[in-house]
Amino acid sequence: MNSPDNKKSILVLKDISLSFKGVKAITDISFNVYEGEICSVIGPNGAGKSSMLNVINGVYIPQEGTISFDGKEFTKMKPHSAAVMGIGRTFQNIALFSGMSVLDNIMSGRNLMMKANFWEHALNIGRAEKEELEHRQAVEEIIEFLGLQSIRKTPVASLAYGLQKRVELGRALAAKPKMLLLDEPMAGMTMEEKLDMSCFIQEINRNYGTTIVLIEHDMGVVMDISDHVVVLDYGKKIGDGAPDEVMNNQDVIDAYLGVSH
Amino acid sequence: MDYAFFLEVLVGGLLSGIMYSLVAIGFVLIYKSSGVFNFAQGTMLLLAALTFVSLTERMVNFWVAFAITLMIMVVLGIIIERTVMRPLANQSLLSLFMATVGLNYFLEGLAQGVWDSAVHGVNLGISNDPIFLIDKFPVLGLDIIVSYFDMAAAGIAGLMILGLSLFFTFTRTGLSLRAVSDDHLAAMAVGIPLSRIWAIVWAVTGVICLIAGLLWGDRVSVSFTLTSAVLKGLPVILIGGLTSIPGAIVGGLIIGASEKLGEIYVAEWIGGQGIEHWWAYTTALLFLMVRPTGIFGEKEIERV
Amino acid sequence: MFYREAGKLVGSFGKDRRMLPLLEDRWLAVLFVAFMYFVVTAIASDYMFTAILIPIMVLGVATLGLNIAVGYTGQLSLGTAGFMCFGAFSAFNLILRIDWMTIPLAFFLSGMIAGGVGIIFGLPSLRIKGFYLIVSTLAAQFFAEWVFNAYPWFLNYTSSGVVSLPMHHYRVFPGQENTPFNAAFWYSSQGRYLVTLTVTILLVLACKNLVRSNTGRNWMAVRDMDIAAKVIGIPVAKTKLMAFFISTFYCGVAGAMYCYCYIGNLDFMIFNLRRSFLVMFMVIVGGLGSILGSFLGAIFVYAWPILITRGSDFIFGGGAIDTAFIENNSKIVVGTIIIVLLIREPGGFAALWSSSKQKLRVWPFAQ
Repeated sequence: MNSPDNKKSILVLKDISLSFKGVKAITDISFNVYEGEICSVIGPNGAGKSSMLNVINGVYIPQEGTISFDGKEFTKMKPHSAAVMGIGRTFQNIALFSGMSVLDNIMSGRNLMMKANFWEHALNIGRAEKEELEHRQAVEEIIEFLGLQSIRKTPVASLAYGLQKRVELGRALAAKPKMLLLDEPMAGMTMEEKLDMSCFIQEINRNYGTTIVLIEHDMGVVMDISDHVVVLDYGKKIGDGAPDEVMNNQDVIDAYLGVSH
Repeated sequence: MDYAFFLEVLVGGLLSGIMYSLVAIGFVLIYKSSGVFNFAQGTMLLLAALTFVSLTERMVNFWVAFAITLMIMVVLGIIIERTVMRPLANQSLLSLFMATVGLNYFLEGLAQGVWDSAVHGVNLGISNDPIFLIDKFPVLGLDIIVSYFDMAAAGIAGLMILGLSLFFTFTRTGLSLRAVSDDHLAAMAVGIPLSRIWAIVWAVTGVICLIAGLLWGDRVSVSFTLTSAVLKGLPVILIGGLTSIPGAIVGGLIIGASEKLGEIYVAEWIGGQGIEHWWAYTTALLFLMVRPTGIFGEKEIERV
Repeated sequence: MFYREAGKLVGSFGKDRRMLPLLEDRWLAVLFVAFMYFVVTAIASDYMFTAILIPIMVLGVATLGLNIAVGYTGQLSLGTAGFMCFGAFSAFNLILRIDWMTIPLAFFLSGMIAGGVGIIFGLPSLRIKGFYLIVSTLAAQFFAEWVFNAYPWFLNYTSSGVVSLPMHHYRVFPGQENTPFNAAFWYSSQGRYLVTLTVTILLVLACKNLVRSNTGRNWMAVRDMDIAAKVIGIPVAKTKLMAFFISTFYCGVAGAMYCYCYIGNLDFMIFNLRRSFLVMFMVIVGGLGSILGSFLGAIFVYAWPILITRGSDFIFGGGAIDTAFIENNSKIVVGTIIIVLLIREPGGFAALWSSSKQKLRVWPFAQ
């Protein structure tokens, strides 16, 4: 693993603060994510981890602070522009399109690359058919990678939880993101499913060079796969660094074992 | 612009707005407790008025007829709750709404089958004379004419609203209702009998339907056009924010005033009478563009 | 056993993406269309054309239009009849005022105009969500009812408020002035039936194409979870407006056909809120988000009163049951069916159809 200083930052968060009707969710958080790494954001429940991801891809707009991604700086990120710039995302409570099949869900991940307009779609002429087949090819590769072949035409609502999580990863992956934000990709999974999922994540990171930011509660997994760990507690950053470093940080130990605040 | 005339129109609008609020409150109660906009309310109103009218036409005493109709409405409310709403608990908003639209259709067919579509009159014995406000209430200093009936109806509606507000603010049932409207599951978990609350709400709605039906019936006669009361109440509660009784009142006043003022000052300007329907909805739309969940509605934070 | 699904494998994504992947289904579809064009045209009675086939197809198109907004994109709309009204009046004025206008072109353009109106009334959907949105489409409904009454220009200053159609010229095919053929074609119920059938088939095919394309996926994504749709880069605002446009395009064409092919006169009174609800019932009964369902719903809701009438005429002799009874009865039945379907099978007739197909697949080995 490279040390942070000779790596290029893909994402720089500077002094982010976010509150809801006066309740502070995030206070003055700054950290960097380096290109090509797996960065875990950890912290107890209610520490502001999901809010952090929501800030990064523009679902929430922070009251203060700037985000820069890939060299461009924003005070206000929008979900759409985040997607255009290559930020993919999965959600803590699965956010699949429940009325659609696995295939359609993953295909919808490629919508930004489809150029045909609705007239072409309606008449199935011009770019419509060609595009559809090209992207189908790419999506089939993802389906194969994630082992979803046998259920590609199944409506996602009828799938088991672990499989749904996998489909959601597939949908995010279909957009060929530069950076993937994974919100508790392994929560509620069996040991075996967790193992599969962490293999997928590492393989995505290795094969496509995708930077990964993930939130996870399973410390074993976090320590195993992360290059970089950021620890949040009560909306503040209390640790940032390589896994071993963070493990030995007194603040982090306090936050996890609990001391009176 | 003639100031006194403007005021007269405005006051007339506000008074009829109270009538809209009365219908809207029925919607609010049901929406609060079971999360559905009850489209069948208009037909329930009609059913109440028709039942009452057919009783009084058979020389039944006013109060006896009132009591019998009340009972019928309460029973009807409970039956609807049992057979339609309860099996659909936790369905999507759209399904619930559609179910009430279906229910509306059903009740309409039933009412027409039982009563045919003749027009009945109902007379509550409230005079319909115009009164000069300056004579009756010199304190206000308003030299305008209003309809006595409108005043009386607004008064009854106001009392009704006040009574309901007190009931739902200070009684146990009211507290339970508010808990249910926040979260069905949580309310059930702390032992609130959901089905009883629903039954109470539907029964109360039956009462509101009866009173609104009589007032509206006296004003515009009891016929199938009465079902359009639902269309008057709809923009009202949307402006008010679906779950709020004060919202229904304010919404009613806004729609009432806007309708009358629009009819006088806007209609001739854009060339045609009868704009009140779409005017009310456009007013509601403008309010919603500013506050997408109504004036008193809760703004939801999207959690993902 | 000629019809079986097992063992039919496809060799390419293109074949997998077909509207009807099964060869047998494609043959059935071709046969059905051929039957509708040749056999029905040849043998059906005038009553069949004007009272059954044409209205069902017209209402089916309107239902399909509403289904695009409600079933596919999740945007509640109660303004269907209003949008149909815009379409009908557009078609009338185009044909009345433009010399070279032909009927197919007028249908298309009236769809476009209605679609434009749909975009305007769809704009609030960008800010207002869920149930609050019905305000916008109801405003459209009442506005339509009002505007065509308030401005007699739209009705060509006809004092009675009803114009009988077609009164000016009736060019079904381009290039010909009012030739006898054109007139004969248009005034025969077969001619109007063929026009309706062709338009309906084209619109169904276009809809099928849309829902299996990126456009359709975007609609459904917005319907199922708009926040997730936004996050994966779907332009939610554009998708909603496009759905409103296409939905009202269908409604507009349906409105134009309703007047020109079905009732033969133009009258804003028929496009009232009641009709909007009727179309909404067709969507629910048929099945949200289903093309087949749109037509099943239209058939059921439209044909039920007719069935009762014909049935009673057959059993008790003509006129034994009065029309009021039938109207009330059909209200009660349709109302009940809507409630029962919502409770038992929210997917409507379309879902019943596919689940019974599923049962047949495994019959008699499992339930």
